[in-house]
Amino acid sequence: MVRNLFFICGALLATTLSIYIFSSTEPRADFTYVNPSGIHTLDPARMSWTQDFRVALNIWEGLTTWHPQTLEPIEGAALFPPGVSDDGLTYRFAIREDARWSNGDPVTARDFLRGWRRGMEPGTATDYTFLFTENVAGAGEYVQWRREAVGGLTALARLRDGWGVSGEQAKAIVRNPVFEQIETAVDGTLFKPAKNDGNEAWERIATELGEAGVDWSSFYNRVFETHILEFDTRFDAVGLKAPDDQTFVIQLKRPCPYLLDLIALPIFLPCHESIELLRERYRGAPITAEGLVVYDPQWTKPDYHRNDYPGLLTNGPYRLSDWTFKRRARLTVNPHHRMARTVTCRTVDMAVYDNISASIMAYEAGDVDFLPAMDVPYDHEIARLARSGERPDFHLCHVSATYFLNFNCVSKSVDGRKNPFTDRRMRKAFALAVDKQRIVDKVLTRGDRVAYSFVPPNTIPGYQPPAGLSMDVDQARRLLGEAGYPDGTGLGPVELLYTPSDERVCQALARMWEQALGVRVELRSKESKTFAEDKANHRYMIARGNWYADYNDPTTFLDCLGTGNGNNDSGYSNPRYDAILAEANTACNPKRRSALLRQAESIIVEKDLPILPILHYATPIAIKPHVKGLYVNGRLWFPFRYVKVER
Amino acid sequence: MIALIVRRLLLGIVTVACIYALTFVMVISLPGNPFQQGQHNIPPEAEMALRARYSMDNNWLYFQEFLAGAVRLDFGPTFTYNDWTCNQIIASALPVSILLGFLAIMIAVLIGVPVGVLSAVKRGSWFDVSSLSLVLLGISVPTFVTGSALLIVFAVCLQVAPVGGWGTLGHLPLPALTLSLPFMAYIARLTRTGMLDALGSDFVRTALAKGASPRAVVWKHALKVAFLPVLSFLGPAAAQAMTGSFVVEKVFGVPGIGQHFVNAALNRDAGLIMSTVLVFSTLLVAFNLIVDVLYTWIDPRISESV
Repeated sequence: MVRNLFFICGALLATTLSIYIFSSTEPRADFTYVNPSGIHTLDPARMSWTQDFRVALNIWEGLTTWHPQTLEPIEGAALFPPGVSDDGLTYRFAIREDARWSNGDPVTARDFLRGWRRGMEPGTATDYTFLFTENVAGAGEYVQWRREAVGGLTALARLRDGWGVSGEQAKAIVRNPVFEQIETAVDGTLFKPAKNDGNEAWERIATELGEAGVDWSSFYNRVFETHILEFDTRFDAVGLKAPDDQTFVIQLKRPCPYLLDLIALPIFLPCHESIELLRERYRGAPITAEGLVVYDPQWTKPDYHRNDYPGLLTNGPYRLSDWTFKRRARLTVNPHHRMARTVTCRTVDMAVYDNISASIMAYEAGDVDFLPAMDVPYDHEIARLARSGERPDFHLCHVSATYFLNFNCVSKSVDGRKNPFTDRRMRKAFALAVDKQRIVDKVLTRGDRVAYSFVPPNTIPGYQPPAGLSMDVDQARRLLGEAGYPDGTGLGPVELLYTPSDERVCQALARMWEQALGVRVELRSKESKTFAEDKANHRYMIARGNWYADYNDPTTFLDCLGTGNGNNDSGYSNPRYDAILAEANTACNPKRRSALLRQAESIIVEKDLPILPILHYATPIAIKPHVKGLYVNGRLWFPFRYVKVER
Repeated sequence: MIALIVRRLLLGIVTVACIYALTFVMVISLPGNPFQQGQHNIPPEAEMALRARYSMDNNWLYFQEFLAGAVRLDFGPTFTYNDWTCNQIIASALPVSILLGFLAIMIAVLIGVPVGVLSAVKRGSWFDVSSLSLVLLGISVPTFVTGSALLIVFAVCLQVAPVGGWGTLGHLPLPALTLSLPFMAYIARLTRTGMLDALGSDFVRTALAKGASPRAVVWKHALKVAFLPVLSFLGPAAAQAMTGSFVVEKVFGVPGIGQHFVNAALNRDAGLIMSTVLVFSTLLVAFNLIVDVLYTWIDPRISESV
């Protein structure tokens, strides 16, 4: 019997192995690089990770793109430079006649309009909608109108289907114009909270709405139908126009000197009309019952054919020919692209190694040609090899990003303890007591650059950030005394919130403060999602933060500290700072604008210190010597169309 | 036999349902926002719309919708990997883990059982002592150590195996061997103990007295009895090898389901957490059922007592 068992197992083993062998893969690509965690999403409207940008910008092409070495904006799918009006508010792009999709269709201005609209619509867009609402005329109003409608429709649909609503959803109903009619229907007995009322008030009206006993489906239908009627006419008011197939016009709401750099980002990519085959419709309308714009998320697959969908079509130098989840993606040259003949790397493989150490071993064994990320616990050793020239194939990229600390500027207390950092002097005292050079040289030893400003110096043409503060323990002690805590007496323990990967830096910081100021620092390490939630809700005293430049302008950093900005984790609010930023926003003279921004930045890094910049990252990368045409740069921008492999 | 299977099946369904309910409660009480992906905080209106889209604004509704989907074997979307459904992720990762776990268990049995038998037969010999010490090592050294060691020796120094990944025959031996080591050690111990018992029992003495060859007595008569504890261990072990290979997958870059199990929790990806948990628990229940059936097949006396 036991023998039988072994026999059965052997047979099973043989079958699975043979299936496995027969499902094995194609020959090696011309060029292989590693994407450690795989692609998060290939939907340009939703992506927010550098590694996703890298794939997207190789398979799609926007109106402009970046030069591989200088990072200057250069020609993309449109002729360069575009026509710009004298006031700097209207940009007129001429789409190239020979711009083609990977199936040979011409790229039209409507494809851009479609792609850009996806970047704004609730449902398709997530992270970068603000780039439209802050720059394009009418986009802010449109997005606001859409978001409010979506909130109202969602809540009404819930009530219609017999479910209760949350306080948040009740708020959306009260804001909707239909609320007046609802009030009449329930004889005005509804409790109506004031605008600034807390959650409890909204929960109360939510309960009342749930018990109101009115015909919710008629209200829902009314709102849905009015919304559909205005759906396209409202969008026409947004400053994006496609007067003909070849012309794409952008009307800005404020001068945007970095627009040509900005629109090279994936959220500004075009989208082929075939995606409409996969649009979700509700009652024949192009939105869902909740008012969202939704496409079948499978549209980014090259081999997806529901509803006669042709599979993913792109207009870049490469097309996606194969994508296996978390294993591999293969890019093949797009034969219809104007550069198709000059591209020497005909196939590119993106290999996924969840474990970066394994990817380094694969690189050493010759299985891959390029490692764009090597953040391992021993990265200081890799950086040393790169700096000393012992490994000429290892390079250090000084990334346009800043590692800093947030001081909580709003909360009076945290976890029942008094938060001392609402006092500017306390923030400054803590900032002056930190020996950043020591953190860079002795703790991380990776070759990062000490940060005295929020905006990394020498990265943005025409902008030099202010000098910032140097370490000054005496002044720090004095400020601590002025704030009412001489030598730290009377000051309870100060909490420092961070994620496990910051352990070493935060321990060093705590020690510096304890030694210099005589304060007690409590270290709180939290797993990254919990950390992010605590940080966004101001449940901390000091929290580590980092910010990567989205585009090449100081405002990508400075806007984060504006009053009410969604990424203002320190809760900082200074009307003067906001006013200077607003003035810079409308300044047409680049020198004047630059001076204003510098003035604004000096407020945050020299005076108010809502954040304490620590360092600007250095990231080691590895390029095999036989690979030419990849350049070390601060945006980790690696277009493969210029790569030559000379094996 | 049929009654046994039906009873066990019903019990299994109840178990999986309880696991689902418990997991659901844990998932909805987790702090952290599944919708925030990059460095930007998500605008509140956008978050509300997304929650509504996935029915996550109403726990009870979500509970029902996910359950209804799961019964139809449709686990719905993931929040972390927008372009893939939970079904696609499981379909791509589960076969990998099953193959790897299956291989590991095969290796463990094929090596562990003979070693256990030999050390029982040659009790006290150098073979027994050295195999016992190896077994101790196999049980106590974690797989990330043995895996990395194998990787450095075979992939980096000798360059006879690829460093990691999946797709060719060469990718299989190292992770499978690493994963099998703790199971192999355990199986060898179980076999040795069972064998020692069996060798001392009356029927073995009788068989030897009747002139049966010692080899036949050991491998045919005694092993049949000694194998039973191994068999009962194999059920949970197989499930564990197929679902619990996270560390090995990480070390060797194997695209199995273990990483999704862990990453889904870290990303607060409710759909993926619940679907992986459901798949894991179903596998566990199924393997225990199979072992029970095999048990009665090998030793019919047991069917009455189970």
